[in-house]
Amino acid sequence: MSGSIRQTIVKNNRGFRSFHPFVCFLYYIGAAALVMLSKHPVFLFVGAIILIGVNISLDRGKAIRQWWKMLLFVSMFFIIINPLINHRGTYILFYLGQNPIMLEAVIQGVIFSLSLLCLMILFASYNLVITANKFLFLFSKWLPQWALLAMLAMRFVPLLKRRLQEIQQVQKGRGLSVAEGPLKLRAKNGVQLVQILLTWSLEEAIQTADSMIARGYGVKKRSRYTPYQMHSKDWLALGFIVILGSISIFGWYLGDNVLAINPILETVRLIGREWFFLIIFMLYISFPLIIEGREALRWHYWKRKI
Amino acid sequence: MARHQVILFSSALMLSIMLIFVTLFIQHHFMLASFLFVMLTFLPFVIRFERRKVSGRELVLLAVLSAIAAVSRVPFASIPSVQPTTFVIIITGLALGAESGFVVGALAALVSNLFLGQGPWTPWQMYSWGMIGLAAGLLRHTKFMKWSIGRYVFGFISGILFGWVMNIWFFVGNIDQITISHILASFGASLYFDLAHALSNVFFLAVFGKAWIKILLRFKKKYGLLDR
Amino acid sequence: MALLEAKNISFHYPEERRPALDNVSFYVNEGDFIVLCGASGSGKSTLLRLLKKEVSPHGSVSGDIYYNDQPIFQLDSEVAARELGMVFQDPENQLVMDQVMEELIFGMENIGFSTEYMRKKVAEMVHFFGLDDLLEKKTYELSGGQKQLVNLASILLLEPRILLLDEPTAQLDPVAAKEFIGMLHRMNEEFGITVIIAEHRLEELFALADRAIILEQGKVIFDSTPRNVSLQIGNNAENKLYSYLPSPAILYLEHSLNIQERELPLTVKEGKLWIKKLNIEEVRTNSKEEIPKGTPLLQMKNIDFQYTKDQRKILDRTSLSVFEREALAIVGANGTGKSTLLKIMAGIERPQGGSILYKGKRMKKHDPLKIGYLPQNPKLFFLHDTLEAELDEIIKQHKLNGGKTRAKELLEWFQLASLANRHPYDLSGGELQKAALAGVLLPNPKVLLIDEPTKGLDPDAKKRFGELLVRLREEGVTIVLITHDIEFAAQYATRCAMLFQGNITVTAPVHSFFSGNTFYTTTINRMIRGSNAPNVLTVEEARTKWRVIK
Ligand SMILES: Nc1ncnc2c1ncn2[C@@H]1O[C@H](COP(=O)(O)OP(=O)(O)OP(=O)(O)O)[C@@H](O)[C@H]1O
Ligand SMILES: Nc1ncnc2c1ncn2[C@@H]1O[C@H](COP(=O)(O)OP(=O)(O)OP(=O)(O)O)[C@@H](O)[C@H]1O
Ligand SMILES: [Mg+2]
Ligand SMILES: [Mg+2]
Repeated sequence: MSGSIRQTIVKNNRGFRSFHPFVCFLYYIGAAALVMLSKHPVFLFVGAIILIGVNISLDRGKAIRQWWKMLLFVSMFFIIINPLINHRGTYILFYLGQNPIMLEAVIQGVIFSLSLLCLMILFASYNLVITANKFLFLFSKWLPQWALLAMLAMRFVPLLKRRLQEIQQVQKGRGLSVAEGPLKLRAKNGVQLVQILLTWSLEEAIQTADSMIARGYGVKKRSRYTPYQMHSKDWLALGFIVILGSISIFGWYLGDNVLAINPILETVRLIGREWFFLIIFMLYISFPLIIEGREALRWHYWKRKI
Repeated sequence: MARHQVILFSSALMLSIMLIFVTLFIQHHFMLASFLFVMLTFLPFVIRFERRKVSGRELVLLAVLSAIAAVSRVPFASIPSVQPTTFVIIITGLALGAESGFVVGALAALVSNLFLGQGPWTPWQMYSWGMIGLAAGLLRHTKFMKWSIGRYVFGFISGILFGWVMNIWFFVGNIDQITISHILASFGASLYFDLAHALSNVFFLAVFGKAWIKILLRFKKKYGLLDR
Repeated sequence: MALLEAKNISFHYPEERRPALDNVSFYVNEGDFIVLCGASGSGKSTLLRLLKKEVSPHGSVSGDIYYNDQPIFQLDSEVAARELGMVFQDPENQLVMDQVMEELIFGMENIGFSTEYMRKKVAEMVHFFGLDDLLEKKTYELSGGQKQLVNLASILLLEPRILLLDEPTAQLDPVAAKEFIGMLHRMNEEFGITVIIAEHRLEELFALADRAIILEQGKVIFDSTPRNVSLQIGNNAENKLYSYLPSPAILYLEHSLNIQERELPLTVKEGKLWIKKLNIEEVRTNSKEEIPKGTPLLQMKNIDFQYTKDQRKILDRTSLSVFEREALAIVGANGTGKSTLLKIMAGIERPQGGSILYKGKRMKKHDPLKIGYLPQNPKLFFLHDTLEAELDEIIKQHKLNGGKTRAKELLEWFQLASLANRHPYDLSGGELQKAALAGVLLPNPKVLLIDEPTKGLDPDAKKRFGELLVRLREEGVTIVLITHDIEFAAQYATRCAMLFQGNITVTAPVHSFFSGNTFYTTTINRMIRGSNAPNVLTVEEARTKWRVIK
């Protein structure tokens, strides 16, 4: 896992990832809100396709390929379960035993799972863009003490993992195994190992604390080194995101981003104004794709010129 | 332990419960309500800790405990759905108090998600574990928690509730289309895991609870930490 | 005017009757390079920590410390944090942040510098230390030596006037340690930073230092130039501190016909000059080194190992044989994989390819009855509250007959009997090492694998540990040990192996091994190279082999 975090650090200064973390973060907040608010199968379907495109442009779809089983399972679960337990509506498709299967329920299930699907694909690309470091940077703006604490804890995780592995190995020779024996004993041994880690690491941590204090921790209000600065392109992107996002939300307010189901089922086909809001929605969601595409084109022409 | 912390906690809780009721009636704002609920019960503690001046040693202690809570599931990779993270958080609350329990719980969730990739569940996990640590700390001087069976009950309930809260993220965006049967279905689907979680909490508390509290208290005393 | 002055400091830890420091007085001028030495527990760390008020230990202090003529406890905390920098022993534990860049700026953020200023300072420092390639790395990926350099750089970014260092090279390999000390020397020479360093390994430091302060049981017993101190200690070979002296000095004291302070060599260079004047004859001894033959007791064949798929190969078709009753020392740089190799040898870690044979038979997993393994950090060995409980548990687990009596014997033998009821974590470094060793030896293994047993031990304790190894070997135990301490390896091992980039590059009997190396060799060997003195590696060897002709 930390390997994948590393990789993204290396590729951090290109395309969408080169924008100020705040801009990227805002994009994701907006996108998540839109995906949750737009309860329309067409919107969500188009959204899912674009988001997959975003993932592909960022890491050739590696992250979602790792996840696809889970994605499939969750979306299928709700597509199937919703018609089975929800019988409100007027259009009966067929009967399953005693129970009527409603068209409304099926559509609702589709919307629900599409929206989950979008959310999860969105988070897959979020993890590629907002790396742990960027997240902590954002975090430290508002909550500096928490951010410092999180950073410290992050630094301990690989260390403790390695210690734990070592403890496990040494103690295995003394019969403390998590792999063999009855469940109760294995669980007990597992905690035993963590207990050694606890006693050992607590003592060692005092030294870390001393090293912090020796470098002036707590003498003053900390300043913060800002590795990122807002450039003009970041302001432009910010404007783009805010304007399109607000229009989209307005569309939701008007009900154009939502498929009405109860009491009357609206047609799935888009009409009039809905087309406009779909385009705005698409533009918003595909922002990273536009940036990555522009970059690719630029390279293409630059190479040609040489 | 400050009395006003207890007051703060209970008033936030009451307020939120009221909100929940109100919004249950006006179904359309359920999403907002759940959001508010989380904010009102979570943010005050986040901000409270942010404002506190914490010494270097305390900071490192909290960071190590969070990292241990996050890493503690590594040796359990071969035992599905059993892991002592919740146990570590409960013990922290019991030994070092509500605020430490809260910080360690929330941070353990955040850190392990920063490593494994964040998802829509991250805030919920932070919330649940943070609250478990907080509750353990708030209740630690009560008769109930001094009684060993009481602690087991606490461990059991937190295991189950944790699972429930974690299920919520599925529904947040679609809350107005959700029926009770939906929720029951998904709770039912995760019941096996929640039960395993709850029972393993009880088991760990029974076997290791005392020893771990002793370890933490010995350490706290040795270095004079978090004494207030 | 002294930059730092201590007047009659005494210090008591709470609930300890004996003072840790007893009426200590000294002064430090700007630009001094001072080494602080003394046995384990003599109060070096306590003293250094008292000088840095943020990390000063709890307890009762009397006496005064002045910095720039101002009492140190009244010093403005920002000034104190900036101007007195401190580096500790363990490189790993001092790192606070996850990324090297974050680590470097950590101190500056604490003091509240602006981003612009930090950028400038970091760029400069990174360039000076040559850390460019490390900036983007995670701190846990660095080798021990790199970690310690990052620690030093991070402190230097605050522009301290005094650097306090508490055994900063204890965990470093010989080359990294030299590099680190060289960096300190440069800081001292080029920027006039005052350095106060506590150390046990003095071979290099005595040559660089302006002054040596020697503590004994909390008292300053010597405070003078290293040369003068060496002479005073060296006057009496019975002196407890005798083994602390750098080996050129000892050699001189034992073999010079006319001892003069001026001439006393502390560096290899000075040693060479002196040795040229001597005419030394070799005493024939019948201790001839032999290359071990016969079937190996333990054998590694073509071992391949990596921790994760995307990481580099730590071991690459490595082969190594261990013969009965030998003491094999493995040396190599930080992070080359020595500890990994030892774990594989013990059967604790499973290699991806290759095989391990014990007495010609394939070994599947770790068997403590055959092979005893002592990890680099002995703390992770202990499960229970006391040493006694630990030993009882081992007896029970392996169902050892007569385990109780053996446990008792071992405790006596290691002089641990009085500590059997202590919490293992409350033992000193050396005691902890011995306690873990007692646990490992209890099942009576034939082979003993030890990972860096001498780190942080004072020369005296090291000597006793070495003698322990000799006794174990006499009892028929075969020993493999990892060490960064060349002098120790030269004295107590029979054979040496060097691990480099995943492979054992050389294995040879100690003598031929060290005689062939330039960096990885003892100070004495470097000193006599090119002279016509008989080839020796250690002071002890010179004692038996040299006879100076008048
Ligand atoms: N926290 C503590 N509580 C009580 N006694 C202590 C404590 N730390 C150290 N001591 C005692 O104070 C004395 C001096 O210890 P100190 O750590 O300064 O020695 P040192 O010279 O640095 O030893 P070493 O070479 O092993 O690092 C020792 O006798 C030690 O046992
Ligand atoms: N559990 C682990 N997981 C992944 N990598 C590891 C693990 N343990 C060690 N490594 C890496 O393997 C390499 C070899 O480590 P090892 O501890 O064997 O080195 P070493 O030669 O003993 O170093 P030192 O002299 O500092 O003790 C290092 O680069 C280290 O970062
Ligand atoms: Mg010390
Ligand atoms: Mg090692």
